[in-house]
Amino acid sequence: MAGYFEIVLPIFILIGGAFAVFLLGRLFAFSNRVMSVLTAAVLAGTLVVLILHYQNIPHIINRPDVFYGLDDPGGIIYRPNAVGVFILIIGVIIGLLITLYSGEYLSRDPRYLVYYPLILLTLAGLLGMFTSNNLFNLFLLTELTTITASALVAFRFKSKPSIRAGFKYLIMSSLGTMTMMLGIYFVYRSTGDMQLVAPLATPDDLTRIGAACFLLGFSLKAGVVPLHTWVPDVYGHAPSAVSGLLAAVLSKSMLFIMPVVCLRLGMTRGELGTYLMIFANLNMLVGSVRMLRQQQLGRFLSFSTIAQTGYLMFGLGMGFYYGLEQAYGVGLFLFMIIAVMKCLAFLSAGMYEYYFGTQDIELLRGAGRQMPLAAFTFSIALAGLAGIPLLAGFNGKWLIFSTAILSGDVFALVCLAVFVLSTVIGLGGYLPMIVKQYQPAPGSEHLTPAGGQPIEVSTWMVVPTGLLSLMVIVIGVYPGPWVNLVSQVMQWMMVTL
Amino acid sequence: MKPYQILLSGITILPVIGVIILLVWRKATKIQAAIVGIVSESFALVIPLVLLSTLRKEGAIFFSVPWIPNMNISFSLELNWLALTFLLTEVLATLAAMIYSLGDQDGDKHSHYYYALLLLFSLGMSGTTLSNDVFLFYIFWELMLIASVLLILAWGHGELRFRVSLKYFIITHLGSLMVLVCLITLYVNFGTANLSELILHASTLPRNTQIFLTTFFLIGFCVKMAIFPLHIWLPDAHTVAPMPVTIILAAAMLAMGTFGVLRFPYSLFPLETIQPFAIWLMIAGLVSEVYGALMALAEQEIKRIIAYSSVSQMGYILFGLGTLTARGMQGAIMHVVYHAIVKAMLFMVVGIIITVTKERDIRNVGGLGGKLPILTACAAIGLLGISGMPPLGIFNSEWMIFAGGFDSGVSIALTVITLIGSLLTLVYALRFFGKIFFGDQQPAEIMEQSPRALLVPTVALTVFLVIEGLLPGPLLAWAAQGLSTVFGGVF
Repeated sequence: MAGYFEIVLPIFILIGGAFAVFLLGRLFAFSNRVMSVLTAAVLAGTLVVLILHYQNIPHIINRPDVFYGLDDPGGIIYRPNAVGVFILIIGVIIGLLITLYSGEYLSRDPRYLVYYPLILLTLAGLLGMFTSNNLFNLFLLTELTTITASALVAFRFKSKPSIRAGFKYLIMSSLGTMTMMLGIYFVYRSTGDMQLVAPLATPDDLTRIGAACFLLGFSLKAGVVPLHTWVPDVYGHAPSAVSGLLAAVLSKSMLFIMPVVCLRLGMTRGELGTYLMIFANLNMLVGSVRMLRQQQLGRFLSFSTIAQTGYLMFGLGMGFYYGLEQAYGVGLFLFMIIAVMKCLAFLSAGMYEYYFGTQDIELLRGAGRQMPLAAFTFSIALAGLAGIPLLAGFNGKWLIFSTAILSGDVFALVCLAVFVLSTVIGLGGYLPMIVKQYQPAPGSEHLTPAGGQPIEVSTWMVVPTGLLSLMVIVIGVYPGPWVNLVSQVMQWMMVTL
Repeated sequence: MKPYQILLSGITILPVIGVIILLVWRKATKIQAAIVGIVSESFALVIPLVLLSTLRKEGAIFFSVPWIPNMNISFSLELNWLALTFLLTEVLATLAAMIYSLGDQDGDKHSHYYYALLLLFSLGMSGTTLSNDVFLFYIFWELMLIASVLLILAWGHGELRFRVSLKYFIITHLGSLMVLVCLITLYVNFGTANLSELILHASTLPRNTQIFLTTFFLIGFCVKMAIFPLHIWLPDAHTVAPMPVTIILAAAMLAMGTFGVLRFPYSLFPLETIQPFAIWLMIAGLVSEVYGALMALAEQEIKRIIAYSSVSQMGYILFGLGTLTARGMQGAIMHVVYHAIVKAMLFMVVGIIITVTKERDIRNVGGLGGKLPILTACAAIGLLGISGMPPLGIFNSEWMIFAGGFDSGVSIALTVITLIGSLLTLVYALRFFGKIFFGDQQPAEIMEQSPRALLVPTVALTVFLVIEGLLPGPLLAWAAQGLSTVFGGVF
């Protein structure tokens, strides 16, 4: 093994940190809060390394001599990937906040020792997926994220719905990875190689079938309709903190790995763009319509996630279909803001679940009066997702509108009409949800834990949700630096695609 | 940057300081919160008046600082004659509502939030009138909606307020989305969000695009104006909202739709583009006028009667805008101002009636004439005013609108029908006045006097209405200058 170790250093820190945290926890019988702080420290270290690596990207991007691994036939190499680093920086920030939040959220779970290492391993697998240039290695790292994420979903294994959700996630995700395995078979049969450093010079039918298999596999993992059926069950029953990580970062990041693999295997940008834009419509409609009738917070947010995956696909799809650089930027910007808002929504819902023991929307009516802070952060998240001005979601909406209009094409404008329809339908879901927090059901005095008295929320939960709320507002009010950041990553992305 | 330009920014920044003070000052009593609110809002009144002489010299005052430079978006404001008229109308209506709130029970709970939201509501409207950047315009446009929805949600009457505010939000937001599509189309086509620059170049857009944008702009703004059949949010929202919020909704927020029509399609595109819409605007105006009046006649809930009267009155304004003549459009602008005064005053009267009788159904209220003489006089003047009786203000604006209708040459018959239709206003006004003040049905309990805190602003507005009607000169001059701003001196 040789080369630029800094490319894989974050992965080493995360994997090493996972084992270290677990062993230390076992050895010294650390409490949940100590484990939380320890994991946060590992994530903070990873974040520092990632930021340093990010700053170095302009100098090392797309240089054939910059890699880590064995550049021999059958060897595995890792290359710097700007989008991967950007997504991981967001992922690690989200992970850090979720870890701190879990310092309280998991205080009633005896199995907390395995929870934190699993979060670290999931993030390690994700970064590996972006940097690996070997299809088999990509498969292994995808499996790593799948298995660790499944374990996180089924973390509360004594609850039947949790087990069911974890099992469903494992089966569906494995189906995705198996499809990828099939893709690898086709590619290997055609090229006799599993390295994927650059686009294939002469892709044949087999490699294109392989690309289609990867497309399918990533679509399944991203929750693209009609392969989305696992999403509500999994996010609905997984611990809210886990759902926050999976819905905000993990599933959507698949949409950014997808083009790297598929385009190098011979799929054209037009084909990929067409696919993303057509299925974006389905995601936007199914997500927003199904969201309206949900009775459980987790499922409600799951369908909202499906709609947002559609928005992301729409942005990226325009980028590929029309060759619009701006659209890639829109995709990255949307990823960033959706990650923040969605995580905030799940964590706020988690606060209700933690203090009231339920996610039933009807039972939680009026809960905001007892937990004004949770109601505030949840409202910020939902209003942001609804695209209310001065919150992050509005800037995403503005960018999608302007990109679609800029394309000036009927296809994009039809998709834009569906997007508008979806956001309006979405309002019918988000606004009542905001209102219900403050409006008790008629004649209901159901909220028992504190006998209707205000509940003091733990600082462990207040700080992460407060910071996320602040991010939603700051990105909304002052989007300039964030747009700049995304533009920079977009330029690097263009070089590597 | 010159001092007067910085001063202009105070119209939007100083109320924000007021909002921050109110949000932080949790222990503020209602009076204290009101003082902070009224003082902060007063800046938005005083600053434009201070800038008046500069405005006469310069024609328009600009303020601009970069906001999102990489997207060519700036915090850019412009005070011109059109903006001035609408700005002052809106600020006066808000101040009247804030003063009225002092005597009203609405807003007794969490007064600091209540006044902070009133300030934000007004800030949304001030910003809308002053924005010289389409991104900024939309932010303020939605701020006005969000603040009003929160006010209705938190201080509205009955459990119905949740459903009503949702309906109000979604319908008006749909209109806003249509406006947003237009704003972004302009932004994308010219690569700038600066409205002054867009106005300079918009006429170079292909004609089909201009027609498309005009259609979307008009529909979007007609939702805000509550023109039939896009009015369905209005009666419920006006009825459920606390009275001071209803006053602002009716007197000021509806006017923002008119401002939008003048500031965007009318300012952006040449008259030839607007011309094909003229007849449709006049027809829509007529239908709204008649429908609103008939519904006001059929309604039994006194607040809804006055609410439907707004639908009717907005019809006159749209008709005036549709004439595309100097007189018609000046009349429309004047009607906005007069309607704001009359409507604010009439809602204050309704508020007093509800407070005094604890009744909202016109069938259960009667005989107040002899008991509450000052209120009766105010109501009489207000109802005569809205019916277009000389010398009260609306007579002047209706005169101009109808004169514009005859001038337009689009359809004399349409103008005649609209003129005849205006009689319906008199009918519902007389029904309202007759039943409530001279009807036989005495309410079960009745206060002996109108609460003074409510009566004082009502009387003040009544006096203002009479003065405005008798001295229409300044307003007419402002309307003419405003129109000149819109059409670049064509009218």
